[in-house]
Amino acid sequence: MAAARAELSIVVVRSGGFTGISRRWAIERPDPDDDWVALVEACPWGQVAADRESRDRFTWRIEARVARRHHRASVPDRELTGPWRELVDRVQRDGSSDV
Amino acid sequence: MNEAYDGLGATFELYADVYDRNSIDGRGLPLDGSVHYEKDYDNAFWNGERMVFGDGDGQVFGRFTVSVDVIGHELTHGVTQYTAGLVYKDQAGALNESISDVFGSLVLQYSHKQTAAQATWLIGQGLFTARVKGVALRSMKAPGTAYDDPVLGKDPQPATMAGYVETEDDDGGVHTNSGIPNHAFYLVATGIGGYAWEKAGRIWYDTLLAGMKPTTDFAGFAALTLAAATKRYGEGSAEADAVRAGWSGVGVAIDGGGAS
Repeated sequence: MAAARAELSIVVVRSGGFTGISRRWAIERPDPDDDWVALVEACPWGQVAADRESRDRFTWRIEARVARRHHRASVPDRELTGPWRELVDRVQRDGSSDV
Repeated sequence: MNEAYDGLGATFELYADVYDRNSIDGRGLPLDGSVHYEKDYDNAFWNGERMVFGDGDGQVFGRFTVSVDVIGHELTHGVTQYTAGLVYKDQAGALNESISDVFGSLVLQYSHKQTAAQATWLIGQGLFTARVKGVALRSMKAPGTAYDDPVLGKDPQPATMAGYVETEDDDGGVHTNSGIPNHAFYLVATGIGGYAWEKAGRIWYDTLLAGMKPTTDFAGFAALTLAAATKRYGEGSAEADAVRAGWSGVGVAIDGGGAS
Protein backbone atom coordinates (compact mmCIF):
# COMPACT_ATOMS: atom_id res chain seq x y z
CA MET A 1 0.00 0.00 0.00
CA ALA A 2 1.50 3.27 -1.09
CA ALA A 3 0.74 5.51 1.81
CA ALA A 4 -0.15 9.10 1.07
CA ARG A 5 2.17 11.48 2.78
CA ALA A 6 0.90 11.60 6.30
CA GLU A 7 0.83 15.05 7.77
CA LEU A 8 -0.31 15.68 11.26
CA SER A 9 -1.55 18.78 12.95
CA ILE A 10 -3.34 18.95 16.26
CA VAL A 11 -4.77 21.97 18.02
CA VAL A 12 -6.00 21.84 21.61
CA VAL A 13 -7.94 24.76 23.08
CA ARG A 14 -8.83 24.71 26.75
CA SER A 15 -11.65 27.13 27.54
CA GLY A 16 -13.85 27.85 30.52
CA GLY A 17 -12.88 27.11 34.07
CA PHE A 18 -13.59 29.57 36.87
CA THR A 19 -11.07 31.98 35.37
CA GLY A 20 -12.55 31.88 31.87
CA ILE A 21 -9.04 32.32 30.44
CA SER A 22 -8.45 30.14 27.38
CA ARG A 23 -5.19 28.41 26.54
CA ARG A 24 -4.09 26.86 23.30
CA TRP A 25 -1.52 24.23 22.37
CA ALA A 26 -0.61 23.04 18.89
CA ILE A 27 1.69 20.59 17.20
CA GLU A 28 2.56 19.90 13.59
CA ARG A 29 4.56 17.02 12.20
CA PRO A 30 5.31 16.72 8.47
CA ASP A 31 6.04 13.04 8.89
CA PRO A 32 4.51 11.81 12.13
CA ASP A 33 5.39 8.56 13.84
CA ASP A 34 2.86 5.77 13.63
CA ASP A 35 2.11 6.08 17.32
CA TRP A 36 0.86 9.65 16.85
CA VAL A 37 -1.52 8.45 14.16
CA ALA A 38 -2.61 5.51 16.28
CA LEU A 39 -3.25 7.78 19.25
CA VAL A 40 -5.41 10.14 17.20
CA GLU A 41 -7.35 7.23 15.75
CA ALA A 42 -7.81 5.71 19.22
CA CYS A 43 -9.77 8.72 20.44
CA PRO A 44 -13.54 8.18 20.37
CA TRP A 45 -14.34 11.08 18.02
CA GLY A 46 -18.07 11.67 17.74
CA GLN A 47 -18.81 9.67 20.87
CA VAL A 48 -18.13 12.17 23.63
CA ALA A 49 -20.54 12.14 26.56
CA ALA A 50 -21.86 15.50 27.73
CA ASP A 51 -21.33 16.76 31.26
CA ARG A 52 -24.52 18.57 32.27
CA GLU A 53 -23.77 18.64 36.01
CA SER A 54 -20.42 20.38 36.36
CA ARG A 55 -19.93 24.14 36.46
CA ASP A 56 -16.65 25.97 35.91
CA ARG A 57 -14.90 22.88 34.58
CA PHE A 58 -12.70 23.20 31.53
CA THR A 59 -13.89 22.35 28.03
CA TRP A 60 -11.30 20.96 25.60
CA ARG A 61 -11.73 21.63 21.89
CA ILE A 62 -9.52 19.19 20.05
CA GLU A 63 -8.95 19.36 16.31
CA ALA A 64 -6.72 16.87 14.54
CA ARG A 65 -5.75 16.43 10.94
CA VAL A 66 -3.87 13.30 10.13
CA ALA A 67 -3.43 11.56 6.79
CA ARG A 68 -5.94 13.99 5.30
CA ARG A 69 -8.62 13.00 7.77
CA HIS A 70 -10.11 15.71 9.89
CA HIS A 71 -11.39 15.13 13.39
CA ARG A 72 -12.97 17.58 15.77
CA ALA A 73 -14.46 17.18 19.23
CA SER A 74 -15.44 19.26 22.22
CA VAL A 75 -14.56 17.23 25.29
CA PRO A 76 -15.74 18.15 28.80
CA ASP A 77 -12.96 18.00 31.40
CA ARG A 78 -14.74 15.13 33.15
CA GLU A 79 -14.54 13.05 29.97
CA LEU A 80 -10.88 13.80 29.28
CA THR A 81 -9.64 10.32 30.09
CA GLY A 82 -7.89 7.44 28.30
CA PRO A 83 -6.65 8.32 24.80
CA TRP A 84 -8.06 11.87 25.05
CA ARG A 85 -5.94 12.55 28.11
CA GLU A 86 -2.91 10.93 26.53
CA LEU A 87 -3.32 13.00 23.36
CA VAL A 88 -3.72 16.28 25.22
CA ASP A 89 -0.78 15.50 27.53
CA ARG A 90 1.40 14.76 24.53
CA VAL A 91 0.42 17.89 22.61
CA GLN A 92 1.05 19.95 25.75
CA ARG A 93 4.43 18.30 26.26
CA ASP A 94 5.74 18.24 22.68
CA GLY A 95 3.87 21.08 21.02
CA SER A 96 3.94 24.84 21.26
CA SER A 97 1.80 26.82 23.61
CA ASP A 98 0.23 30.19 23.60
CA VAL A 99 -2.20 31.51 26.13
CA MET B 1 -7.88 23.96 54.14
CA ASN B 2 -8.76 26.58 56.76
CA GLU B 3 -9.39 29.13 54.03
CA ALA B 4 -11.83 26.78 52.34
CA TYR B 5 -13.54 26.12 55.68
CA ASP B 6 -13.86 29.84 56.40
CA GLY B 7 -15.23 30.48 52.91
CA LEU B 8 -17.81 27.76 53.33
CA GLY B 9 -18.85 29.30 56.63
CA ALA B 10 -19.08 32.82 55.21
CA THR B 11 -21.24 31.59 52.33
CA PHE B 12 -23.49 29.58 54.64
CA GLU B 13 -23.90 32.69 56.83
CA LEU B 14 -24.96 34.99 54.00
CA TYR B 15 -27.60 32.55 52.77
CA ALA B 16 -28.83 31.69 56.28
CA ASP B 17 -28.74 35.14 57.93
CA VAL B 18 -29.86 37.31 55.04
CA TYR B 19 -32.00 35.04 52.87
CA ASP B 20 -33.12 32.49 55.47
CA ARG B 21 -31.83 29.68 53.30
CA ASN B 22 -30.56 26.56 55.02
CA SER B 23 -27.51 25.59 52.96
CA ILE B 24 -27.42 25.30 49.19
CA ASP B 25 -30.44 23.05 48.78
CA GLY B 26 -32.50 24.86 51.44
CA ARG B 27 -32.60 21.64 53.45
CA GLY B 28 -29.31 21.74 55.28
CA LEU B 29 -27.22 19.83 52.77
CA PRO B 30 -23.76 19.38 54.30
CA LEU B 31 -21.32 21.66 52.50
CA ASP B 32 -18.57 19.58 51.07
CA GLY B 33 -15.38 20.46 49.29
CA SER B 34 -12.09 19.03 48.12
CA VAL B 35 -8.87 21.01 48.16
CA HIS B 36 -5.43 20.46 46.56
CA TYR B 37 -7.10 18.77 43.55
CA GLU B 38 -4.52 17.29 41.15
CA LYS B 39 -1.13 18.96 40.74
CA ASP B 40 -0.75 22.62 39.67
CA TYR B 41 -4.48 22.64 38.87
CA ASP B 42 -5.55 26.10 37.69
CA ASN B 43 -9.19 25.89 38.57
CA ALA B 44 -12.03 25.65 41.03
CA PHE B 45 -15.28 23.99 40.02
CA TRP B 46 -18.63 22.59 41.15
CA ASN B 47 -19.19 18.98 40.12
CA GLY B 48 -22.91 18.86 40.86
CA GLU B 49 -22.37 17.70 44.43
CA ARG B 50 -19.34 19.42 45.88
CA MET B 51 -16.73 22.10 45.29
CA VAL B 52 -13.27 21.18 44.10
CA PHE B 53 -10.27 23.51 44.42
CA GLY B 54 -6.85 23.39 42.81
CA ASP B 55 -3.67 24.92 44.20
CA GLY B 56 -2.82 26.83 41.02
CA ASP B 57 0.40 26.44 39.07
CA GLY B 58 2.28 29.09 41.06
CA GLN B 59 3.19 30.81 37.77
CA VAL B 60 -0.04 32.56 36.83
CA PHE B 61 -2.36 31.45 39.61
CA GLY B 62 -1.98 30.83 43.29
CA ARG B 63 -4.37 28.68 45.29
CA PHE B 64 -8.05 29.04 44.47
CA THR B 65 -9.19 29.18 48.09
CA VAL B 66 -7.49 32.56 48.59
CA SER B 67 -10.64 34.65 48.28
CA VAL B 68 -14.05 33.91 49.80
CA ASP B 69 -15.84 35.15 46.68
CA VAL B 70 -14.44 32.17 44.77
CA ILE B 71 -15.91 29.82 47.36
CA GLY B 72 -19.19 31.76 47.37
CA HIS B 73 -19.20 31.54 43.57
CA GLU B 74 -18.82 27.75 43.51
CA LEU B 75 -21.41 27.10 46.22
CA THR B 76 -23.86 29.41 44.47
CA HIS B 77 -23.65 27.11 41.45
CA GLY B 78 -25.21 24.61 43.83
CA VAL B 79 -27.93 27.07 44.86
CA THR B 80 -28.72 27.80 41.21
CA GLN B 81 -28.83 24.07 40.50
CA TYR B 82 -31.43 23.58 43.24
CA THR B 83 -33.49 26.70 42.34
CA ALA B 84 -33.49 28.26 38.86
CA GLY B 85 -31.84 25.21 37.27
CA LEU B 86 -30.32 27.37 34.52
CA VAL B 87 -28.55 25.41 31.81
CA TYR B 88 -24.87 26.09 31.25
CA LYS B 89 -24.92 27.44 27.73
CA ASP B 90 -25.15 30.79 25.94
CA GLN B 91 -27.19 33.48 27.72
CA ALA B 92 -28.70 31.13 30.33
CA GLY B 93 -25.18 29.90 31.06
CA ALA B 94 -23.87 33.45 31.34
CA LEU B 95 -26.69 34.18 33.80
CA ASN B 96 -25.72 31.06 35.74
CA GLU B 97 -22.14 32.39 35.89
CA SER B 98 -23.25 35.91 36.77
CA ILE B 99 -25.47 34.71 39.63
CA SER B 100 -22.41 32.96 41.08
CA ASP B 101 -20.32 36.13 40.74
CA VAL B 102 -23.12 38.23 42.28
CA PHE B 103 -23.54 36.08 45.38
CA GLY B 104 -19.81 35.37 45.56
CA SER B 105 -19.23 39.11 45.73
CA LEU B 106 -22.04 39.49 48.27
CA VAL B 107 -20.42 36.84 50.50
CA LEU B 108 -17.27 38.97 50.46
CA GLN B 109 -19.15 42.25 51.01
CA TYR B 110 -21.23 40.76 53.82
CA SER B 111 -18.19 39.34 55.59
CA HIS B 112 -16.49 42.77 55.45
CA LYS B 113 -19.70 44.75 56.05
CA GLN B 114 -19.05 46.91 52.97
CA THR B 115 -21.66 49.13 51.35
CA ALA B 116 -22.16 49.02 47.58
CA ALA B 117 -20.09 52.19 47.36
CA GLN B 118 -17.25 50.72 49.45
CA ALA B 119 -17.07 47.32 47.73
CA THR B 120 -14.40 46.63 45.11
CA TRP B 121 -16.80 44.54 42.96
CA LEU B 122 -13.78 42.48 41.91
CA ILE B 123 -13.98 38.71 41.51
CA GLY B 124 -10.96 36.61 42.38
CA GLN B 125 -8.79 39.34 43.82
CA GLY B 126 -5.50 37.82 44.94
CA LEU B 127 -5.72 34.80 42.65
CA PHE B 128 -3.07 36.02 40.23
CA THR B 129 0.55 35.75 41.24
CA ALA B 130 2.61 38.95 41.46
CA ARG B 131 4.00 38.46 37.96
CA VAL B 132 0.59 38.96 36.30
CA LYS B 133 -0.53 42.48 35.41
CA GLY B 134 -4.02 42.48 36.80
CA VAL B 135 -6.00 43.10 39.98
CA ALA B 136 -8.49 40.25 39.67
CA LEU B 137 -10.22 37.94 37.19
CA ARG B 138 -13.33 40.01 36.67
CA SER B 139 -14.73 43.39 37.60
CA MET B 140 -18.46 43.83 38.02
CA LYS B 141 -17.98 47.58 38.28
CA ALA B 142 -15.98 47.85 35.06
CA PRO B 143 -16.06 44.58 33.09
CA GLY B 144 -13.10 44.24 30.75
CA THR B 145 -10.63 46.05 33.03
CA ALA B 146 -9.62 43.40 35.59
CA TYR B 147 -6.36 42.45 33.87
CA ASP B 148 -4.24 43.40 30.89
CA ASP B 149 -1.19 41.21 30.73
CA PRO B 150 1.38 40.59 27.99
CA VAL B 151 1.02 36.82 28.41
CA LEU B 152 -2.63 36.37 29.37
CA GLY B 153 -4.04 39.15 27.21
CA LYS B 154 -6.79 41.49 28.26
CA ASP B 155 -9.90 40.82 30.30
CA PRO B 156 -12.42 40.01 27.53
CA GLN B 157 -15.64 40.76 29.42
CA PRO B 158 -18.18 43.12 27.86
CA ALA B 159 -20.15 45.49 30.11
CA THR B 160 -23.07 45.92 27.71
CA MET B 161 -24.94 44.05 24.97
CA ALA B 162 -23.03 46.00 22.33
CA GLY B 163 -19.99 43.88 23.25
CA TYR B 164 -21.76 40.50 23.48
CA VAL B 165 -19.33 37.80 22.35
CA GLU B 166 -20.48 34.98 20.06
CA THR B 167 -18.22 31.96 20.52
CA GLU B 168 -18.46 28.20 20.68
CA ASP B 169 -15.76 27.89 23.35
CA ASP B 170 -16.54 28.10 27.06
CA ASP B 171 -20.11 26.84 26.48
CA GLY B 172 -20.88 29.90 24.41
CA GLY B 173 -18.74 32.36 26.34
CA VAL B 174 -20.49 31.93 29.70
CA HIS B 175 -17.50 33.41 31.58
CA THR B 176 -17.27 36.30 29.11
CA ASN B 177 -20.84 37.44 28.59
CA SER B 178 -21.56 37.17 32.32
CA GLY B 179 -19.98 40.65 32.40
CA ILE B 180 -23.28 42.07 31.14
CA PRO B 181 -25.62 40.82 33.91
CA ASN B 182 -22.75 41.35 36.40
CA HIS B 183 -22.62 45.01 35.48
CA ALA B 184 -26.42 45.27 35.58
CA PHE B 185 -26.36 44.02 39.17
CA TYR B 186 -23.63 46.51 40.05
CA LEU B 187 -25.71 49.35 38.58
CA VAL B 188 -28.82 48.21 40.46
CA ALA B 189 -26.95 47.83 43.77
CA THR B 190 -25.17 51.17 43.56
CA GLY B 191 -28.38 52.80 42.31
CA ILE B 192 -30.23 51.62 45.41
CA GLY B 193 -27.26 52.29 47.70
CA GLY B 194 -26.49 50.89 51.15
CA TYR B 195 -25.60 47.23 51.61
CA ALA B 196 -25.98 45.39 48.31
CA TRP B 197 -27.12 42.14 49.93
CA GLU B 198 -30.13 43.80 51.57
CA LYS B 199 -32.13 44.93 48.55
CA ALA B 200 -30.38 44.24 45.23
CA GLY B 201 -29.28 40.83 46.52
CA ARG B 202 -32.79 40.16 47.84
CA ILE B 203 -34.30 40.99 44.44
CA TRP B 204 -31.86 38.63 42.71
CA TYR B 205 -32.50 35.91 45.30
CA ASP B 206 -36.29 36.28 44.93
CA THR B 207 -35.76 35.97 41.17
CA LEU B 208 -33.88 32.70 41.64
CA LEU B 209 -36.95 31.31 43.41
CA ALA B 210 -39.44 32.72 40.89
CA GLY B 211 -39.67 29.55 38.84
CA MET B 212 -37.82 30.59 35.71
CA LYS B 213 -37.25 28.41 32.67
CA PRO B 214 -33.83 26.72 32.56
CA THR B 215 -33.16 28.45 29.22
CA THR B 216 -34.07 31.96 30.40
CA ASP B 217 -32.15 34.65 28.51
CA PHE B 218 -30.96 38.08 29.67
CA ALA B 219 -34.21 39.86 28.72
CA GLY B 220 -36.33 37.20 30.41
CA PHE B 221 -34.20 37.34 33.56
CA ALA B 222 -34.33 41.15 33.56
CA ALA B 223 -38.13 41.03 33.41
CA LEU B 224 -38.18 38.59 36.33
CA THR B 225 -35.95 40.85 38.45
CA LEU B 226 -38.28 43.79 37.77
CA ALA B 227 -41.27 41.66 38.71
CA ALA B 228 -39.49 40.59 41.91
CA ALA B 229 -38.58 44.21 42.80
CA THR B 230 -42.14 45.37 42.11
CA LYS B 231 -43.61 42.55 44.19
CA ARG B 232 -41.38 43.22 47.19
CA TYR B 233 -40.99 47.02 47.06
CA GLY B 234 -43.95 48.20 45.01
CA GLU B 235 -44.70 49.61 41.58
CA GLY B 236 -42.73 52.80 40.99
CA SER B 237 -40.56 52.21 44.05
CA ALA B 238 -36.96 53.43 44.03
CA GLU B 239 -35.87 49.77 43.99
CA ALA B 240 -37.96 48.90 40.92
CA ASP B 241 -36.72 52.03 39.17
CA ALA B 242 -33.11 51.06 39.96
CA VAL B 243 -33.68 47.62 38.45
CA ARG B 244 -35.11 49.15 35.30
CA ALA B 245 -32.21 51.60 35.06
CA GLY B 246 -29.64 48.88 35.71
CA TRP B 247 -30.75 46.70 32.80
CA SER B 248 -31.18 49.71 30.57
CA GLY B 249 -27.62 50.68 31.42
CA VAL B 250 -26.27 47.44 29.93
CA GLY B 251 -28.53 47.52 26.87
CA VAL B 252 -31.02 44.86 27.92
CA ALA B 253 -34.60 45.90 27.21
CA ILE B 254 -37.34 44.70 29.53
CA ASP B 255 -40.31 43.99 27.32
CA GLY B 256 -43.54 45.10 28.91
CA GLY B 257 -42.10 44.53 32.35
CA GLY B 258 -44.02 41.27 32.60
CA ALA B 259 -42.68 38.11 34.20
CA SER B 260 -41.58 34.96 32.32
